[in-house]
Amino acid sequence: MRKDLFKKTPEVKARQSEYRRLAKEEARLRDIRAQVPDGLFRKCEACGEISDTEDIISGYHICPACGHYFRIPPHVRLSMILDRDSFTEWDTGLAQSDPLRFPGYPAKVAARRAATGLDEAVITGCGTIQDERTAVGVMASEFLMGSMGEIVGEKITRMVERATKERLPVILFCCSGGARMQEGMISLMQMAKTAQAIKRHSEAGLLYVSVLTDPTTGGVTASFAMLGDVILAESGALIGFAGPRVIEQTIGQKLPEGFQSAEFLEEHGFVDRIVKRSRLRQTLLFLLKSAKSGQDPDWAALDAELVRPIRADEAVPEITEERNANEPNGKIPASESGMELTRESGSNPPDSAAPASGIDSSAGTCAEDGTVSDNGKQDAPEAGQEEPAAWERVQIARSLDRPTSLHYIRSLFDRFLELHGDRAYADDGAIVGGIAELSGRYVTVIAQQKGRGIKENKKRNYGMPKPEGYRKALRLMKQADKFGRPVICFVDTPGAYCGIDAEERGQGEAIASCLYEMSGLRVPVLTVVIGEGGSGGALAMAVSNEVYLLENATYSILSPEGFASILWKDKKKAREAAGLMKITAKELLELGIIDGIIPESGEDSEGAGENVLRGVTTDTMEGTAMRIKERMLSFLARYGAMDGDTICELRYERFRKY
Amino acid sequence: MISKVLIANRGEIAVRIIRACREMGIRTVAVCSEADRDALHSQLADECICIGAAPAKESYLKMERILSAAIASGADAIHPGFGFLSENARFADLCTRCGLIFIGPSGEVIERLGNKAAARTCMVEAGVPVVPGSDGPVASVEEAVSLADEFGYPVIIKASAGGGGRGMRVVRRHEDFEESFLTAQAEAKSAFGDGTMYLEKYVEHARHIEFQILGDLEGNVIHLGERDCSVQRRHQKLIEESPAPGVSKQLRTRMGADAVKAAKAAGYTGAGTVEFLLDSDQRYYFIEMNTRIQVEHGVTELVTGIDLVKEQIRIASGQTLGIRQEDVRVTGCAMECRINAEDPARDFVPCPGTVEELHIPGGNGIRVDTALYQGYRIPPYYDSLLAKVMAVSSNREETIQKLRCALGELVIEGVTTNLDFQYQLLGDERFFAGGVDTGFVESVMEESKADPDLNASDQ
Repeated sequence: MRKDLFKKTPEVKARQSEYRRLAKEEARLRDIRAQVPDGLFRKCEACGEISDTEDIISGYHICPACGHYFRIPPHVRLSMILDRDSFTEWDTGLAQSDPLRFPGYPAKVAARRAATGLDEAVITGCGTIQDERTAVGVMASEFLMGSMGEIVGEKITRMVERATKERLPVILFCCSGGARMQEGMISLMQMAKTAQAIKRHSEAGLLYVSVLTDPTTGGVTASFAMLGDVILAESGALIGFAGPRVIEQTIGQKLPEGFQSAEFLEEHGFVDRIVKRSRLRQTLLFLLKSAKSGQDPDWAALDAELVRPIRADEAVPEITEERNANEPNGKIPASESGMELTRESGSNPPDSAAPASGIDSSAGTCAEDGTVSDNGKQDAPEAGQEEPAAWERVQIARSLDRPTSLHYIRSLFDRFLELHGDRAYADDGAIVGGIAELSGRYVTVIAQQKGRGIKENKKRNYGMPKPEGYRKALRLMKQADKFGRPVICFVDTPGAYCGIDAEERGQGEAIASCLYEMSGLRVPVLTVVIGEGGSGGALAMAVSNEVYLLENATYSILSPEGFASILWKDKKKAREAAGLMKITAKELLELGIIDGIIPESGEDSEGAGENVLRGVTTDTMEGTAMRIKERMLSFLARYGAMDGDTICELRYERFRKY
Repeated sequence: MISKVLIANRGEIAVRIIRACREMGIRTVAVCSEADRDALHSQLADECICIGAAPAKESYLKMERILSAAIASGADAIHPGFGFLSENARFADLCTRCGLIFIGPSGEVIERLGNKAAARTCMVEAGVPVVPGSDGPVASVEEAVSLADEFGYPVIIKASAGGGGRGMRVVRRHEDFEESFLTAQAEAKSAFGDGTMYLEKYVEHARHIEFQILGDLEGNVIHLGERDCSVQRRHQKLIEESPAPGVSKQLRTRMGADAVKAAKAAGYTGAGTVEFLLDSDQRYYFIEMNTRIQVEHGVTELVTGIDLVKEQIRIASGQTLGIRQEDVRVTGCAMECRINAEDPARDFVPCPGTVEELHIPGGNGIRVDTALYQGYRIPPYYDSLLAKVMAVSSNREETIQKLRCALGELVIEGVTTNLDFQYQLLGDERFFAGGVDTGFVESVMEESKADPDLNASDQ
């Protein structure tokens, strides 16, 4: 190192004594010299990194280094969410209560008032988000840790009551250590008081969104925080009933990393969605718009606008006619190509070979190659037929290239806000649900989701829902019912998950509840089976006003493998079983199980015909998605004008007839 | 009075500043990244504080760490050098708010001059000639096209937030305009997050002439003559000289007066540079003002005898300028060659390495500013500038000879450098004749590509 060889400034310039004098003077001066003024920088409590306060503020009060969310005071929160100058505060200046005459309590409150400029641990009022009016409350962690005493409970209750009266939605940013100890049982009663006000608000058909911020614990979690129609949370927020320290002391165990974080709660089904601060305003706006009661979405206009002009040259058959057309069976000569068969070019879905001869007999399906099987033991038809046989369809329906529900959701809708969880146990990846927007109109979408590859399938459980999946579906259907949103279901499952944990949590009960509750939904419900429609697991999302199958989709009492092993104790006879079970779209239409078939091959692939042999793939899905959209819009146009009783009654009759 | 300066920089400029401070009896604090613990500036300063990991954004660009280091070490001023935080308005403001002297202009002035459109408006108001242009951002392609038609082609499209040639396009024909505008805008958006564009007439065969400015806190502003920096490759200067060959005394007086006017209009304090384009008809236009010490400040020092870094420190500590304009004497001719760790044969890619053998030339009229030493390992994270070799003598011919001889003596083994390329440029007849334009380097490169022997025989 040259460092020690170089002569430094004091040696070059000054005598040693002078240097010492300078050093002493400097030490004296240092106290009054340069220093960082308060608030110029802020240290992140999570990563320890120091950042410029300006950067933090312009970046939504998030640590630029590690992404940690800083707690923010109510007025900052309001400015991030509401339109500028739109906030009007409600119920200020309520007299402070001290029901227990708790020593030192009034002084403590007074001190917090002076220090924070807030009159209590919550601000309530109303404002607008892009001109959508809403009641809004924000709790303040800097005011006695946002604890809930009488005034906090009172302000929240008054806000909710006023919102009910004025028919306003409520958005409440929760942030609290829980009930305020200094007010004893009066604090506990606030939990009941707020909850019952929210119940009445909900019964009036109004939206309540709670946003859980760091920390949301104790009596607040156990009351209004967990009662949102939609519960949003901020990343990393501590959310729980009993605080982590209390739990550790009680059970004498160290809690795992991330326990009671917002992410933990989402995984366990209690939070609909973790929203980035930068996206929060837009997300809330979307929710407000999607829950506007009493609006007329005018689906017929959208149907006319989006579909008719594009398809003007092609006659789109009325779906209701299709089923009728089945009744005078057969008579149609075998067509030249399989594609023609499924294009619904006529009003009559033709049968390629033998007339469908009722429900029994293997003849109907195996007849596709012209042979009639005697006892079902004959081999199924060879591949490479003009029209795929049942077993081939099963293979196509299970194909990994086939678009999944999310592929269709992305291509059918303008926007989709996924909502998670069953509010009881977990968020099931096998069912995706949420609110979708189509040209300013909103529907609830619930879909069974398969994965691509091992990693994704671990999350999606190969599209086999568990009870929590069905309970999530049910929760979202009821939410749709409350806000008058039509429900669109996509079915694609080998069947409900069959496993120990599924039985433990009541798989049967979960499916039964879906059938039970769906029958009473006063909004139109449409189901499209896009791949496999496996048994009760599929039916739980198909007690609908209308059910469609994609051309190569299947819908069955059981998988052909399962069927073969039950009936013949031989799983290998699945191919034969498929031929007999009547599980293809055409057969199901004949049976009157479904209301229509959506072709997977369009005029664009005429000649090439690839979709006929392989079915639709993610690369060739555009036409198929378009046809689903046409059906969906036509459905919504027809049902959109009906009242809830009619919709319910039609659905009842649809299933009553079997 | 400043008694201790933290140097928020590295490399030869940090060394240059430490030396100036030491001569003035001011103690020095170096900051270094983990990759620079053995760098010369770290060893030379009285104290050194390591402020973070090797990448600049983890260390030399971390404002809060540099400020903490300054406060902890008891420094009362920060010298930002060039590059890094030197033209960062917010950093200048933060220094002030922390009670530290930022050696340079105020944040407000940096902000105003850093935004090219704002700087231009300021100059138009002050009556300093500017290149005919859009006077601020253009709102749409349509507006831009009609302006371009008005100025006459060629025109140049530039990003308001731009630099280093990105978001910049020269358009020669009306037909090509729209496409060039849109691509330049897209480039600017992705590089700077700001698609604000402006437009000006493209001055062809332009020379890059800049004036060195000094302004004190009382509003006195003088200029120290000009530098000709026309020898550039893709806006990277390679050779600078002062005075500019072929610039008459009369023209120098006019340009100098306008440079002072520009600095005064901006409220400038400290050392700065006003850049002009000079066309073949001796018309000149203001292009921008740099609010820092320049890499090539040495050539001005050699012809004027004024130590610019010391002047910066004196001005920052509140002293009135000790030199009046009429005292400034430009004597002789000085020239500088930048030696970079880059490979001209491979499109000038940076080439880090270890200095195995080092011989630095010296003697009458030679100055070498460098942070190299034998055994120094050049880290790959930063600028590739290794050394600035300068020569001064009474006339330009002699200076070129001196500089070329000095380059011939300079030995840096273990690292690929542009030394031979610079040697070749200095030997070029057109350069010797003086007054080359900014296209000179490109044309030399074209020729040596076409005739490799020319290159070889020159060695």
